[in-house]
Amino acid sequence: MPNFDLAAVLTDEFRGWLLDGFLLSIELTAITWLIALPLATFIALCRLSSVRVARGLGFALVEGFRNIPLLVQLLFWYFAVPELLPEALRSWLYEHDAEIVCAVAGLTFYTAAFMAEDIRSGIRAVPVTQLEAARALGFSFLASMRRIVLPQAVRIIVPPLISQTLNLWKNTSIATVIGTAELMYQAQRVETASFRGVETFTVVTLAYLAVSLLITALSVWFQRRFPVRAP
Amino acid sequence: MIDIIDTYWLYFLVGQYPDGPLGGLVLTLLLGFTAVVLALPLGVLLGLARVSVRRWLRWPVTALVYVVRGTPLLMVVFWAYFFLPSVTGHKTNQFTTMLAALVFFNGAYLAEIVRAGIQGIAKGQMECARSLGLNYTQAMRYIILPQAARNMLPSLVNQFVTTIKETSLGYIIGLAELSFVASQINTQLLTRPVAVFGTLALAYFILCFGLSRIAYYLEVRRSRVAT
Amino acid sequence: MKPTQALIIAAGMAAVFLSPVAFSDQLADIRKKGELVCGVLGTDEPMSFIDPATRTLVGYDVDLCQVVARKIGVPAKVKQLAVAARIPELQQGRVDILSATLTHTKEREAVVDFSLHTFITGQKVMVRRDSGIAKLAQLAGKKVVTVKGGTQEPNMRKAVPTVDVVTFETAPQAFVALQQRKAIGFVNDEVSLFDAYGKLGAAQKDYVVLPESISVEAIALGLRKNEPALKTLVNDALRELEASGAAEKLFFKWFGPNSRLKYGQRSFKIDSDRI
Repeated sequence: MPNFDLAAVLTDEFRGWLLDGFLLSIELTAITWLIALPLATFIALCRLSSVRVARGLGFALVEGFRNIPLLVQLLFWYFAVPELLPEALRSWLYEHDAEIVCAVAGLTFYTAAFMAEDIRSGIRAVPVTQLEAARALGFSFLASMRRIVLPQAVRIIVPPLISQTLNLWKNTSIATVIGTAELMYQAQRVETASFRGVETFTVVTLAYLAVSLLITALSVWFQRRFPVRAP
Repeated sequence: MIDIIDTYWLYFLVGQYPDGPLGGLVLTLLLGFTAVVLALPLGVLLGLARVSVRRWLRWPVTALVYVVRGTPLLMVVFWAYFFLPSVTGHKTNQFTTMLAALVFFNGAYLAEIVRAGIQGIAKGQMECARSLGLNYTQAMRYIILPQAARNMLPSLVNQFVTTIKETSLGYIIGLAELSFVASQINTQLLTRPVAVFGTLALAYFILCFGLSRIAYYLEVRRSRVAT
Repeated sequence: MKPTQALIIAAGMAAVFLSPVAFSDQLADIRKKGELVCGVLGTDEPMSFIDPATRTLVGYDVDLCQVVARKIGVPAKVKQLAVAARIPELQQGRVDILSATLTHTKEREAVVDFSLHTFITGQKVMVRRDSGIAKLAQLAGKKVVTVKGGTQEPNMRKAVPTVDVVTFETAPQAFVALQQRKAIGFVNDEVSLFDAYGKLGAAQKDYVVLPESISVEAIALGLRKNEPALKTLVNDALRELEASGAAEKLFFKWFGPNSRLKYGQRSFKIDSDRI
């Protein structure tokens, strides 16, 4: 292979760009996660509710956001949605890093749809007798969920949820198409400026892997420390 | 939105064909289908390696699968773009690049589906086969894999859905698949982004939702027939 | 393992390791192949773009590609590339020649060769009239958009160090972002800017192209390094084009009074490759 020169892509300038991108990717992951989790719980509860409209809404949200590629959703959020907003809101958005806001919006709904299904499976894995007993004791649907069912479901839900977090971390790379200056965007920038694709992508792949392996390790640790008790 | 579909349906469907390379929805389907079909043997090989008793086979493949699953698909696409010509000596175009990336990436994911499918077949099956005189390869080929295949079918259809969505990344390397075509139309029209991207989203939704419903019914049928 | 197997494996390894170093005459290869593969952008009207009526690639760059192919004596095959992919695709041999609004820069000379300059233009910024910006310096601290992988971003940052640049996969995509008011300015080469301006129709009154150029760009065809035969032939073809007057006709075909750009005259000749 013609001269592999790692130093060429790790000059002060390039290192700065890549670091900025890495930090933004982490921020996108964190912010999205914090918003997607409650949203996903809400959607999961909708799908499990006895109210038909809620079930329909939950189903529509899950299927809608899961069956459209994330790239398309991001393009829609960035190029289409702002045009539908009132003038004042749109101007405010453009003044305040629209690329990041739209990336978070797109990532949140996409991730929440998948998380919702994992949460729903987890809740359904808790024997239905638990819910029935809670209702019989006088708890409302929501209270039964909050105090009895969800705590038991958590152990089952966490591993797939960590898996979705891993997907989220990788999905942040797609935000490059709407101009979000995260790690992949900066990788493309460094590659253009240095003419060295292999070195640039080696560094960036290692950066993604580092966090991915951390997340996977977390999952393995959790499953060892809190194994699912057989019913 | 109807008028956009009306004017541009051919472009959405086949891109520039026949006055240029194939594109649009047909390209997306072709790419997705070919990728899954080619990824399957790779997935089976990797899956078998993952359950193998031979450590020299199991460990490197496990490491490879972990690396590929920890890397964004877009990164794998860029790697295919830069590495492929020097490794194969062939000049590759965007379609081949995207295909290679998808096959490799999905092969690693299918390895897990295959592994789960194989391990889901009762251990007794393998023991029976061996005691009847079949060797490991014959047992796999005639007894285990056919049963595992039936189990895996819903997962495989789901993987097809995922692959269809993944083809949208071809946009970034200039492959004229459905999303790229829609984007070109948007830059032509300029003032109708909601309609253009709405149409794009709808097209994917119909395609993927339809396929995932098929997977769902396969799953329902399988659990009814399961022994 | 058997001797034949060893030989085949050795040959394979040799092929893989030696292929980057193997010297080939690209011109002879092209003649043998029977076609010239040209990389074009396809998203940069009128240099190269897709005619929506015929769904084919046309433009100034596409025509230049045909000129070179005719000189070699083979048909031309036009391939669409992303801006950021131009040089990698040429380096990896996926295209024979680049006719893709490629700017001749000193940095790029390290990796590719350039033909005689086929077009001289500058990079400028288009802004919304209601932004009140009339000079480049006023863009300090503001947001502009452009395409990934070209010279636009570095040139813009050199011209206005505190500007915020956001890049997209294609130039038209960035232009959409300007129109949607996601940024104050849109950076691109003059020709593409005036073409986009022309496309605005009634909305032209809302936009203005700032007169100051952030760079002067010499556009040329891109060639792989160490291919003297091909380079000589390409430059000969271009010189013939200029001498016969066909070059000027080509310019007016795409940039003249009948086009959206309406250039009254051509301010350059195809005769130099010095920057």
